Amino acid sequence: MKIGAPKETFAGEARVAMTPDSAIQLQKLGYDCAIESGAGEAAGFSNAMYKDANVEVLKTGAALFKACDIVAKVRQPDATELKRLHKDQTLISFFNPAANDDGMEAAKAKGANVIAMEMVPRISRAQKMDALSSMANIAGYRAVIEAGNNFGRFFTGQITAAGKVPPAKVLIVGAGVAGLAAIGTSTSLGAITLAFDVRPEAAEQVESMGAEFVYLDFEEEQADGASSGGYASVSSPEFREAQLAKFRELAPDVDIVITTALIPNREAPELWTEDMVAMMKPGSVIVDLAAEKGGNCKLTVMDEKIVTDNGVTIVGYTDFPSRMAAQASTLYATNIRHMMADLTPEKDGQINHNMEDDVIRGATVAFEGEITFPPPPPKVQAIAAKPKDVVPELTPEEKRAAETAAFQAQTKQQVILLSVGAAFLLGVGLVAPASFMQHFIVFVLSIFIGFQVIWGVAHSLHTPLMAVTNAISSIVILGALMQIGSGSFLVILLSSLAVFMAGINIFGGFMVTRRMLAMFQKS
Amino acid sequence: MDYGFTTAAYVVAAVLFILSLGGLSSQENAKRAIWYGIVGMALAVAATLMGPGSGLWFLSIVLIAGGAVIGWQLANKVQMTQMPELVAAMHSLVGLAAVFIGYNAHLELGNVLAMTADEKHGLEGFAALLAHKSGVEIAILRVELFLGVFIGAVTFTGSIVAYGKLAGKLNSKAEKLPGGHMLNAGAAAISVLTLIWYFNTGGFFPLFLMTLAALFIGYHLIMGIGGADMPVVVSMLNSYSGWAAAAIGFSLGNDLLIVVGALVGSSGAILSYIMCKAMNRSFVSVILGGFGGTTGPAMEVEGEQIAIEADGVASALDEADSIVIIPGYGMAVAQAQQNVAELTRRLRAKGKTVRFAIHPVAGRLPGHMNVLLAEAKVPYDIVMEMDEINDDFPETDVAIVIGSNDIVNPAAQEDPNSPIAGMPVLECWKAKQVFVSKRGQGTGYSGIENPLFFKENTRMFYGDAKASLDQLLTMIQ
Repeated sequence: MKIGAPKETFAGEARVAMTPDSAIQLQKLGYDCAIESGAGEAAGFSNAMYKDANVEVLKTGAALFKACDIVAKVRQPDATELKRLHKDQTLISFFNPAANDDGMEAAKAKGANVIAMEMVPRISRAQKMDALSSMANIAGYRAVIEAGNNFGRFFTGQITAAGKVPPAKVLIVGAGVAGLAAIGTSTSLGAITLAFDVRPEAAEQVESMGAEFVYLDFEEEQADGASSGGYASVSSPEFREAQLAKFRELAPDVDIVITTALIPNREAPELWTEDMVAMMKPGSVIVDLAAEKGGNCKLTVMDEKIVTDNGVTIVGYTDFPSRMAAQASTLYATNIRHMMADLTPEKDGQINHNMEDDVIRGATVAFEGEITFPPPPPKVQAIAAKPKDVVPELTPEEKRAAETAAFQAQTKQQVILLSVGAAFLLGVGLVAPASFMQHFIVFVLSIFIGFQVIWGVAHSLHTPLMAVTNAISSIVILGALMQIGSGSFLVILLSSLAVFMAGINIFGGFMVTRRMLAMFQKS
Repeated sequence: MDYGFTTAAYVVAAVLFILSLGGLSSQENAKRAIWYGIVGMALAVAATLMGPGSGLWFLSIVLIAGGAVIGWQLANKVQMTQMPELVAAMHSLVGLAAVFIGYNAHLELGNVLAMTADEKHGLEGFAALLAHKSGVEIAILRVELFLGVFIGAVTFTGSIVAYGKLAGKLNSKAEKLPGGHMLNAGAAAISVLTLIWYFNTGGFFPLFLMTLAALFIGYHLIMGIGGADMPVVVSMLNSYSGWAAAAIGFSLGNDLLIVVGALVGSSGAILSYIMCKAMNRSFVSVILGGFGGTTGPAMEVEGEQIAIEADGVASALDEADSIVIIPGYGMAVAQAQQNVAELTRRLRAKGKTVRFAIHPVAGRLPGHMNVLLAEAKVPYDIVMEMDEINDDFPETDVAIVIGSNDIVNPAAQEDPNSPIAGMPVLECWKAKQVFVSKRGQGTGYSGIENPLFFKENTRMFYGDAKASLDQLLTMIQ
């Protein structure tokens, strides 16, 4: 079978999906390779180099699409390219399936199979074809370089004969692949690097890259990233407030801010507010890697570099990988080559599109005239085993049935209890006089209140509860007080003793409770 | 002051008491809630002194003031570790007061009944109340005061025995006189017979006889319950003291007493229930004392207990990132909570995660450990309940067991024949390493061998908890 890479049509895109090196590897898998004339030019790979690697150079994109069984691309295909697809052709490319219904419909109509590179599951086995990571790695590196380019000072601190140079202070927000790459670049250039991420488990990775992790004064348990495929999830408003407060504290100090915070399928969260920009020193640089999704800083202009009134440069480029086209093409072509290797287990130049394979199934968005997006959850758990066993999800019907059953059982129990209780009360009422029943009502209601109230008492406060109930049970003093004034000497003596003992209890009980409660304190 | 004012004051006091208990739902609210209780009590006493209890009010105030001085002294002097004893001792006071008030009611009743109609007319206060009662009401009154005296007497001796056991003045093992539960049943039967007798005659002798029987029941019942079940016993006695107050309230026709008695009674009952559930035992089996019969021989425990010295523990703690401390009654006995807190502070200062796992029945009364740790200024947000922390043990580097035994016994889960089988326990053996601070090789209170001590990842750190921790603290700076 023949695999080919067309020239990218997107304006300014310099990458190419096949390099001479990857072509040699693909040929080892049994494929013939083809390339559109001039496709690698912008990335530094001339037609001659491809020819040397036994790659057939075709004149036009149309010819390439016609001749190849497999087409590898970088950017999401445009309408013209989609039209060129034909039946049983396999397209491997970034496809943005979540927001590309038209593309999937077109592929379905044509009967072409589409593998979307951004859909490769984030599991260990698939790392070699995880193009998002390899591109993010470049973006992170390039972001630091771009920042340095716009920053008028050294990164590293120096003491020279011409004076002392303070080191640059770099803050990196979001410690994903791009963030970690940026941390590595920044520290190796000698800057003091701070990094922040909402996932607490990122702290270890950040510190392993030589940066200092910015901890928040916040206690809430953050969701473990492992449960959401290694991505951050949306954080609570309180957490966000704590985060912004910390950033405000840092803003006047840092020279360079690189924001990389993205949440899957959502607009980028605003993390670097306008007032923080205003607080920064003139000459500082912000590189917003989330510019494509609206930016972590609202002042960011997509694809442009702007300078604010107070002299802060904000870089909003979205094409960092393309700016390093040679490197990006090499990595991307290798990702494609690994994907092909997985698609060709026999190394016989024939595609075996195995929809049982987690990785291939996950990445395939259109297959044999069907749209196969979104994929089912992978059989192998992503990244790390979950820390806790998850109770198997019940279907809504089962849940409702269980709830109804529980509710019915509860109702039955309560009805039985109530009828027994009512019968008992009626029985008492038959023989007892009204004056007794009056008190009895009070008694029963109080027990009810007691039960309702005591269930709410915190576990750790059970000892104070005992002490305080002990103190108030000395309410029997009222009985003694009522008796003390009426009757014989014996009555007075006994009730005096009772008053005295209850007095000890009242004061002792309340004092002890207060002492205990005063000790409870938060850290 | 007329009767309406007193009733109004009682309503306000009752509301305040309810708020006072309800406020214990969180640590912060609790500090305010206690004031509700104090104001409620002051209001109730003041209203009674001005209203129905106005006779000899000066004597009353002197007596209350005297009680206040002693109560104040006691409460300020007592060590936090002696808290269970103090609570138990104070229950006995309520019980005895209830007995006296019941007797008084009986005496008054006798006086009033002996009077002529003219004399009745001039009566005041409680006596006047009695004078208005009809025949049936007097019969009910007798039952009520009989019950009040009975519960009060059981509470009195029961609490004294509980106090003795908690304070170490009596043997904490379960002990019974020959005859066992038959004696209790006999005493209970006597009580029922005397009730019928008293009901019919109204004489003093049956009441007195019943009091003796009840005192015996209180003594013998609690003697038959071992030290580890004391949390249940103390909360049960707490409940009884409430029911006694409620019974007295009935016989005196005082609604506030009924309300508060019922509140305290239900509170104690719920606490007992929670404690029993935490030990996976039924209330009846706790009250009957000792452990229920086992169905087969206990599992053989293999392996040996390996001892470790303080320096070994110190180096393990140095390497650990997450540490869970499981305190038990042993920590309270050794007064080691300050050392534990200091250890916690030092480890936390080094950036380690230190948390406490508290079993619901750790110690000798509900929430015992929380109070001790709070005293030592361990922040309460790192003190976790069993359910909160049990799943975290597999990720824990070091678990330190300080003076607890049964609550960390894996036999509860592994050995169906164990007397504590099925009791929820802290699964500390799942931690990477477990240190057990313990005085010697003996078994715990329940007399059950603890397989935890023989596990491969367990090291025994022998010695008095306080001395051991002192030694450890010199090595962790």
